[in-house]
Amino acid sequence: MNRMYKTAATILKELLLLSRDRTGLLVLFVMPALLVLVMTLVQENVLKTMGESNTRLLLIDNDRQQVGQTIEKKLLESGAIEIIKSINGKDVDEKKALERILKGDFQLCVIIPEGTTKAVKTRARQVVRESLAMPEMPTEGSDRERDITVYFDPTVFGGFRSAVLSSLELVIVGIELNEKMNVLSELLPEHINGTIRKAMGPMLPESFVSDMPGMRLDFGRDRLLRVAERSASKFYLEKKPTSVQQNVPAWALFGIFFIAVPMAGALIKERHDETLARLLTLPVSFLSVMIGKIIAYVLVCLTQLGLIVFIGKVVLPLLGTPVLEMGSDPTAVIVIALSAILAATGFGILLGTAAGTYEQASMVGPISIVIAAALGGIMVPVYAMPKIMQAISVYSPLAWGHDAFLEIFVRGGSIRTVSGDIIALLSFFVATVLIAWMWFFLRRRDGL
Amino acid sequence: MKPSDSVNKNTAAAGEKALVVQDLVKIYKDASSPALSGLNIAVHTGEIFGLLGPNGAGKTTAISILSTLLRPTRGSVCICGIDALKHPGRVKGLIGLVPQNIALYSGLTARENLRYFGKICGLKGDALDDRVQACLELAGLGNKADQRVSTYSGGMKRRANLAVGIINNPRLLFLDEPTVGIDAQSRNMILEKLSLLKDNGTTLIYTTHYMDEAEQLCERIAIMDEGRIIAEGTPKTLIDRPPGHSSLGGLFLALTGKDLRD
Repeated sequence: MNRMYKTAATILKELLLLSRDRTGLLVLFVMPALLVLVMTLVQENVLKTMGESNTRLLLIDNDRQQVGQTIEKKLLESGAIEIIKSINGKDVDEKKALERILKGDFQLCVIIPEGTTKAVKTRARQVVRESLAMPEMPTEGSDRERDITVYFDPTVFGGFRSAVLSSLELVIVGIELNEKMNVLSELLPEHINGTIRKAMGPMLPESFVSDMPGMRLDFGRDRLLRVAERSASKFYLEKKPTSVQQNVPAWALFGIFFIAVPMAGALIKERHDETLARLLTLPVSFLSVMIGKIIAYVLVCLTQLGLIVFIGKVVLPLLGTPVLEMGSDPTAVIVIALSAILAATGFGILLGTAAGTYEQASMVGPISIVIAAALGGIMVPVYAMPKIMQAISVYSPLAWGHDAFLEIFVRGGSIRTVSGDIIALLSFFVATVLIAWMWFFLRRRDGL
Repeated sequence: MKPSDSVNKNTAAAGEKALVVQDLVKIYKDASSPALSGLNIAVHTGEIFGLLGPNGAGKTTAISILSTLLRPTRGSVCICGIDALKHPGRVKGLIGLVPQNIALYSGLTARENLRYFGKICGLKGDALDDRVQACLELAGLGNKADQRVSTYSGGMKRRANLAVGIINNPRLLFLDEPTVGIDAQSRNMILEKLSLLKDNGTTLIYTTHYMDEAEQLCERIAIMDEGRIIAEGTPKTLIDRPPGHSSLGGLFLALTGKDLRD
């Protein structure tokens, strides 16, 4: 009871000190909040320009017939494209569309010219007639070939452009094939009939034409070959996180680990100004003091995490990003968060014990956290790293935390599937505290 | 109940030894010479005992061992009848430390510091409130108690440092240069309050570089050099030692030499 009372006193003291430390508050709350906001919005834009995120396509369908409708239907079927046909309820012309694309409101614009359907049908009939060596049809000027125009935002990546153009080409080839098959099924019996009639003359019965077998027009859609996508890397995610799912846990972990810096600073200050010496001469166990400190920093980190989740759930969606989806196992999320926070406090205790001065801690701490964050997939997803970096990344505590969060958020994991990461984080906490403890006693043996 | 009341009253009786140090040796790892080499001290209850010496004489090492912060290589330390090396936990309730540095949380007020250290000593409720108020008044900080320590002058910080050192009403108080770098008024006040503590039965072990201060305050003085005591006695007997010295400072220089100790 007495030990709890003294631990509670330390918790209260630490919270009071932290609440009055403006720089510390800036590091603990403002920095991760800003990082989450900025990095998510930047990455959301990058993902859009790479086609990894939901793409907004402006469709100007001046044809308003079969071709335009088919293109719209096929693009929507891809599931990755959001088609906008009017802005504020008004139709958009080419000039306005260009302006909006240059502003970055849309990644691309597809313009289907007027009369495209009629032109396609006429051209299909001409092509089929030519292939069957049938006499040419008279054409009007309006039946000439049409170009479907695609405008891209200049920032859109080349790979994404090629993918969009290929998809459109595929849709158009399908439309053309369909039209040609239509015309072929109409002209082929007539052509065969005419050829046979020409060869057999009056011997051919009158009913021959109607007895010609019909053609199934949709056979062109039956697939003969398929492409199956498989990953050679274990870091490949079958389902990729949204920019919010990637960044919110990533920068939350970054912020959590940054608590090591003020924590180490507080420990070093206590050592240098001899408050630690004073505490060690008082009737309190060092363990009670340390537990009080750890609990105080755990509470601060949980508040910090709550703030960042709020940003992911409420603030970021207001700025146009997807809402933060956190999976269906809140217990696992809390356990991962607590494990990561303990790992961070362990690192803070080790840093504060091993570093001789605050300058050392404030130099080594942030640099090591940034390196661990870079390795841990906080800045660049692990699956996008070169192989050697992927191999190193498994040693970063931030990677354990981030991987566990993504497992729950994106892949529908449970506490069982992330138990390895949780054990790794808790082991890191135990190891760092033990090393710090040994360091502390070795130092104490030779005077503080 | 005061933490110190748990000790057998007999041990605290007048004339009893509050501190007995025998043959204390401390050799730091990789050090060429021992920091303490056979230190012997006996301090009576209610006495103010001064420990003087040049830099590197072993004063801080001695205070660290006596206040349970450091383990000696060998020797024994007995505080109020308790073996401090065998039972450091029991001794901690009896001692107080006023370190040379301002060992306070500068982001907290003096009252918050006192309340925190008081709670750590096990004080609660009214006993805590009363003790905090008493310490604030003793340090002359009653009207500035709710200001953060970071806003205090040097003298106020030193007084607050002393106030926290006595929050647990210690029987034996270690003071490591408690008046360094402060104005004459604050220094005078601290010395007055230390005399008051002595009158109330607290034993004080006092280190300082101010010879006049030691002469004024301490009943007995030990001059240390190279880890051992080279002279011990009341200020008067020390000054009168043949061939006689004009002051304690004169004796100190005669015993420890004029070479710089960096």
